[in-house]
Amino acid sequence: MLEHVYLIALIPLAASLVILFGFKENPRSRAPYLGIAAMLWCFLQSCAVFHRVAASALPLSYEANMEWFRLPVQIAGKAFALPLQLGVLIDGPAALMLCVVTLVSLMVQIYSLGYMHGDPRLRRYYAFLSFFTASMLGLVVSSDLLVTFMCWELVGVSSYLLIGFWFEKPGPAYASKKAFITTKLGDCGLYVALLLLFTKTGTFQISALRESVAHGYLAGAAATAVALGMLLGCIGKSAQWPLFIWLPDAMEGPTPVSALIHAATMVAAGIYLVARTYFIYLASPVALETAAWIGLITAFLAATMAIVAYDIKRVLAFSTISQLGFMMCALGAGGYAAGLFHLTTHAFFKSLLFLGAGSVIHAVHTNDMRRMGGLSKKMPITFVTMVLATLAIAGVPPFAGYFSKELILKAVYQHSPAMFFLLAAAALLTAFYMTRLIMLTFLGAPREEELHQHAHESPASMTGPMMLLASLAVVSGMALAHAGFIERLLPLSAAAPAEELAAREFPEWLGAGVSVLGALSIVLGFLLYRGPAFETAKALKRRFSGLFELLENRYGFDAFFLRLVEAADALSRFCFWFDSQVVDRVFVDGWGLLTLIWAEAAQLVDSRLIDRTVDGFGLLSLDLGGGLRALVRDGQVQEYLMYVAIVVSLFAALLLMR
Amino acid sequence: MAESLIFYSLAALVLLSALAVVTMRNTVHSALFLGLSLAGLAGIFAELSADFLFAAQILVYVGGIAVLFIFVVMLLGRASDLHLRQINAQWPAALLVCAVAAAGLWRAARSFIAPAATRAPAPTTERLGRLLMGGYAVPFELVSLLLTAALLGAVFFSRLEKNP
Amino acid sequence: MTLSSCLLLSGALFLIGIFGALTRRNVIGILMGIELMFNAANLNLAAFNHFLHPGGVAGQCLALFIIAIAAAEVVVGLALVLAINRNADTVYVEEFNLLKG
Repeated sequence: MLEHVYLIALIPLAASLVILFGFKENPRSRAPYLGIAAMLWCFLQSCAVFHRVAASALPLSYEANMEWFRLPVQIAGKAFALPLQLGVLIDGPAALMLCVVTLVSLMVQIYSLGYMHGDPRLRRYYAFLSFFTASMLGLVVSSDLLVTFMCWELVGVSSYLLIGFWFEKPGPAYASKKAFITTKLGDCGLYVALLLLFTKTGTFQISALRESVAHGYLAGAAATAVALGMLLGCIGKSAQWPLFIWLPDAMEGPTPVSALIHAATMVAAGIYLVARTYFIYLASPVALETAAWIGLITAFLAATMAIVAYDIKRVLAFSTISQLGFMMCALGAGGYAAGLFHLTTHAFFKSLLFLGAGSVIHAVHTNDMRRMGGLSKKMPITFVTMVLATLAIAGVPPFAGYFSKELILKAVYQHSPAMFFLLAAAALLTAFYMTRLIMLTFLGAPREEELHQHAHESPASMTGPMMLLASLAVVSGMALAHAGFIERLLPLSAAAPAEELAAREFPEWLGAGVSVLGALSIVLGFLLYRGPAFETAKALKRRFSGLFELLENRYGFDAFFLRLVEAADALSRFCFWFDSQVVDRVFVDGWGLLTLIWAEAAQLVDSRLIDRTVDGFGLLSLDLGGGLRALVRDGQVQEYLMYVAIVVSLFAALLLMR
Repeated sequence: MAESLIFYSLAALVLLSALAVVTMRNTVHSALFLGLSLAGLAGIFAELSADFLFAAQILVYVGGIAVLFIFVVMLLGRASDLHLRQINAQWPAALLVCAVAAAGLWRAARSFIAPAATRAPAPTTERLGRLLMGGYAVPFELVSLLLTAALLGAVFFSRLEKNP
Repeated sequence: MTLSSCLLLSGALFLIGIFGALTRRNVIGILMGIELMFNAANLNLAAFNHFLHPGGVAGQCLALFIIAIAAAEVVVGLALVLAINRNADTVYVEEFNLLKG
């Protein structure tokens, strides 16, 4: 079974190609069923793989490679051919990610049956979904950073295609561009890091790299540079500060796609890559510290921004950024298992939240929470599942988020208490804004009667996946954390040689305190947003209008980047002006003019001098021939003989007299 | 000494009669002088110890070709020919050509400084015969073929048509 | 008698032959000039054979071939003259202008 694990990545790819080229575009297309079947198969396979990995006493690490091509290089004047491998590497994180990605993708695809029902480009949608998942799965299983990078870029391309799925609208077109370009900015760092890595170690293979790092071939400044470059890539991909600006805009895509992006395929890639190359980070304390701080800043800033957003999907987007910050912070603080654990649980409840939000949007046809309210009676299933997910993300025991967040906070506390408090604040904010979302959307009185009248519960194809994910959001944390299972599945020693982290005792009362405060912030949210017009919250907003404005402007990061883009635009406009006006006019056109003049002159010389000379020779020989012909009387044999004799005698004389 | 005397007198004979061949107005005389010139040349062949060539020259040229010329001249000659110019208008040019060629040939001929042959003259007929029947057999046969063809051609061309 | 005197004699004979061939109006005269040239060539061959290769007879052999070919040429040539004379009723080459372009 493990021998054919590469099929898990290849089957969705094949499915996407078959859907794209084998089906006709048709709102009633059968293409979705093919994609769902392929994903179901992949999910079952992944579960089997996960079972194998989880059942083994030691963390199983399976690797199989096939030589792809040889890269000729010259080292110190000698030619080598370095083999580049194409292969799979399955260990604990990979198995876990396989399950998460395939499950979420499967749920999203089933959900899309209802959500995208009747869309004219259904075939295209499903082809892209399969392709997106295939890229992510390739990234997960690949044993080679070069292949990982390829899949990484494919993930970027497919996210571009899916965010801009409704490309005829200006919003999605702009958002897809923004996502693509912003992530590319980070990819530059990743690319440079890969180049540096290859020059230092001569390999892209993860296991070989681990050996190199263990032997100290990659250490000090080089390790820091590589780790920071990779971190830059991950910051772009996982929407960390300061490159998080693309994710809120990525909401323009279809909501199931948002669920996929946020839970499984896109933003998880960055965290996963950090985990996959964790041994490099361990070799560089600076990079680890940087990752931790970036994660922390992201977690906190995004959480504050989520408080003021009114777009339901945007709240969730900021929430995702914030949660990704938690993971990054955990990884940076040495909580390897904690970060990946939170990635897993987060995948379940965040995809659920998005699917729920999609369900709501499907019902009321608006994203604006101010126009919703009181939907709990109209959409009971959606309401219940969303509440479960909210409890999970808020970290209420015994839901999934509680366990992973607890682990993260523990790890961070062991790393630095100061960071712990900031992160705990972010966690409290999480609980608050999620409560706010539920309050605004489902509870209270309906604020727009018409929308409320038309609202209805979504079809079974949408609620089914939501219910499944809700059950996972409830139990997954408990199941995975049971008896330290997650720490056995994701041992730090698998990522790096055993390293003693400074163990600081995590006081039990702190964990309990965070939980209590979380509950309190839920209550606070409940109180603030109670009632049809949430007067209390509005009053607060008036009171602190400056702060709210700052938050609504996302701390000016968007404006900053927009300014950056404008500056670059102005620069390129100037360059264009310089090129078109100065370079083109003066040099290119001038040179052309010079050539023209020169050609005219040459043409004059040619026609007047050279052609005339040539003609002259022709005319001369013509005249000469005519003259000679006049001399000769025709038909006189003896005269011919005479000429022959003259010529022969002349030649003979010339030759013999020499 | 005697050899030289004979050679130079023969050479004078050959050249003078050859000049006569090309200058005589009467073609019959020309043909006769041609026979004389060829006969003189036969003498020179003899002096160059080519006895068979001497015989062949006498037999074929003097006895055959020269006589043939005389026959044809007599066959075609007319009395009016004797009053006509036999040299055409380009004779000065021909003379010039000859002079130019003569200068070249003079240089070429002077460049050969070969020792006088010391070997005693010996009959060549047998060796020639062996050569013609041995190494030169194929050309020899070809020449016989040519002669046959020439014979047939001559008969064909000179035959009188029955009904012109 | 030396080789060069023989060559000079042969050259002179050849030039006389050329002169005859170039100037005689009568076709038969031209043929006679050609015969003289043949003989000049024969003389060259015999002289070279005698002086430069005294033991051999290859030059004489070649001269014999030339004599044979000359005989053939004269026979055909005179036959042609007869034929032309019968048709054109002349032996003067200026009047042979059937091939005039």
